[in-house]
Amino acid sequence: MATKTKEVLESKVKDSEIEDLTAPDNLKVPAKPALKPVVVPVDKPVVYPLDLPESEIRLRTPAVGQRASRPDGRLHGLGQTQYIDDMTFPHMIFAKILRSEHAHAKILSIDTSEAETMPGVLATLTGAEIPVNSFGPTLQDQPVLANEIVRHAGDGVAAVAALTEQQASDALSKIKVKYKPLPAVFDPLEAIKDDAPKVHAPRSNIYASKTIKKGDVEKALKKSDQVFHKQFKTQMVEHVPLEPHSSVAMWDANGRVTIYSSLGRITLGRDDLARTLGKPMNKIRLVGTIVGGNFGGKNEITTEPILAILSKKTGRPVKGTFTRGDEFISSTTRHPFVMDYTTGVKKDGQILGRKIRLVLDGGSYCSWTSTTLGKGGILAAGPYDIANLLVEAHAVYTNKTTTGAMRGFGAPQVCFAYESHMDDMAHALGIDPLEMRLRNAFNEGSVSPTGQLLQSVAIKESLQQAAERFGWKESTK
Amino acid sequence: MIVKLKVNGEIRSADVSPETTLLKLLREHLNLTGAKLGCDVGDCGTCTVIVDGKSVNSCLMLAGRASGREVTTIEGLASSEQLHPLQETFEELGALQCGFCGPGMIISAKALLDKNPEPTVFEVRDALSGNLCRCTGYTKIIEAVLDAGRIMSTAEAKS
Repeated sequence: MATKTKEVLESKVKDSEIEDLTAPDNLKVPAKPALKPVVVPVDKPVVYPLDLPESEIRLRTPAVGQRASRPDGRLHGLGQTQYIDDMTFPHMIFAKILRSEHAHAKILSIDTSEAETMPGVLATLTGAEIPVNSFGPTLQDQPVLANEIVRHAGDGVAAVAALTEQQASDALSKIKVKYKPLPAVFDPLEAIKDDAPKVHAPRSNIYASKTIKKGDVEKALKKSDQVFHKQFKTQMVEHVPLEPHSSVAMWDANGRVTIYSSLGRITLGRDDLARTLGKPMNKIRLVGTIVGGNFGGKNEITTEPILAILSKKTGRPVKGTFTRGDEFISSTTRHPFVMDYTTGVKKDGQILGRKIRLVLDGGSYCSWTSTTLGKGGILAAGPYDIANLLVEAHAVYTNKTTTGAMRGFGAPQVCFAYESHMDDMAHALGIDPLEMRLRNAFNEGSVSPTGQLLQSVAIKESLQQAAERFGWKESTK
Repeated sequence: MIVKLKVNGEIRSADVSPETTLLKLLREHLNLTGAKLGCDVGDCGTCTVIVDGKSVNSCLMLAGRASGREVTTIEGLASSEQLHPLQETFEELGALQCGFCGPGMIISAKALLDKNPEPTVFEVRDALSGNLCRCTGYTKIIEAVLDAGRIMSTAEAKS
């Protein structure tokens, strides 16, 4: 089959029809009716590789259904993969970071003098010594080490480099930080109120917003037979990669910095390093290696600039690895969402209009919030053809752990809301939940909430086949 | 203090401070970095090694307590000619993604299969309950352990 596939593929490459379909600016619905999806009979279990008819689409995706193995699987199994924490360099020393115990406080003073006299300690660092003490992929609102205000319990305030990790940890307890506690806010719905404590005073706590409008939602709700309203909430989630964040920095005598890091986005990281260290980018070499689990939590720099400056101060390679505790309190997490859904339907289940308000708990710093807000907002209405729609999404600062990227960028939160809402409405209307979805799902040529014409829409077929395969009808009898 | 122990069949010794864990001894003194530090409190299982036939969290065992014992780490499974059946099936079935849990997972599975080469799915789950994985969803890991068990018991029957 492989040779035949190749032949057909080659003969088809010149086919102008295929080029038409894949042209990026072509928004036309293909004139040809879509090929019927492959139906797998219930009595025949699926075996891989799938033995599928050689349809045109199938021949264009010959890799689907074939076994593939990871190129790095062998070394993983042998225990020979080198993660950052497995690396050592001659004369390497270790850094630890002191973290704030206050959710919101003004830093009055930081005294590292006693820590510097501790055995094995070679250097200490505070935020005032960092050339440009702010970073972030969208807004540069996060200090590398806080030196004026701490905005959540977990903000780094000072660092120590010592000969061993134990000596560095011991020295942290000798750093004296005087704080003046400030009122803090933890609930995103409290944080949007005018009189709430400002996390980044004098700026408003609402730091990013998105509105999506389609049709006339108020009119549609008035015309509806029934209007449903419900609030949904999701919680904060930590990625818990099994490999904690880890980096090693080496500042050489010519002023070049080499950093090995568990960071996933090294180009963006290099940009942030150049900015925080006040160096041209060509003086910074950032080496990414195999990452022991990212899930979105290793998409921005964390301690890399601290390690770089400690290396400059000591002339030694400096390694910094998060403890599991650091991972929970100072790396990013998934945004908790507060989602208000108002949906107007006809008696037969057809959705006429939907109004959504999303409030994202943005934590203490922006990180990837704007991306999450955008994607969450765009997907908030679900895969349903809704002519009248209003989505208002806001991200707010709170004095909690920073929220950022995590698999799906807001998609899982809104999916939980719109699907739960769908079930509630179906039950109230006495309509089968599957039927309720089939009546409203996107069709070939439907227009998305943001105006894109949709192609290759197979949601109804997918739902029907899935329902058939797992016995939906039987299970609801 | 001097700790002397057998690691992967060889007598090794190191001069360590009393608070050194077996994991630190292996990683920092013997350069065996296959066992990982994931949580340092015995929750995640990335540091799993076999001590006298039993799988243990090496982050919770002091190096001194391992003195005089026999330790097997992930580095001790393959020879230069042959992978251990678990290493073969884990690779073959895609049971390793980021790979960080892999060494601990394979070691826990080995401790099981050495005693019980034909375990049930539930016995595999039970044996791996102390090893967390955030990538795979465990299904392929369990398949790989069962497959390796079959290979090992067939090889045993032949010999």
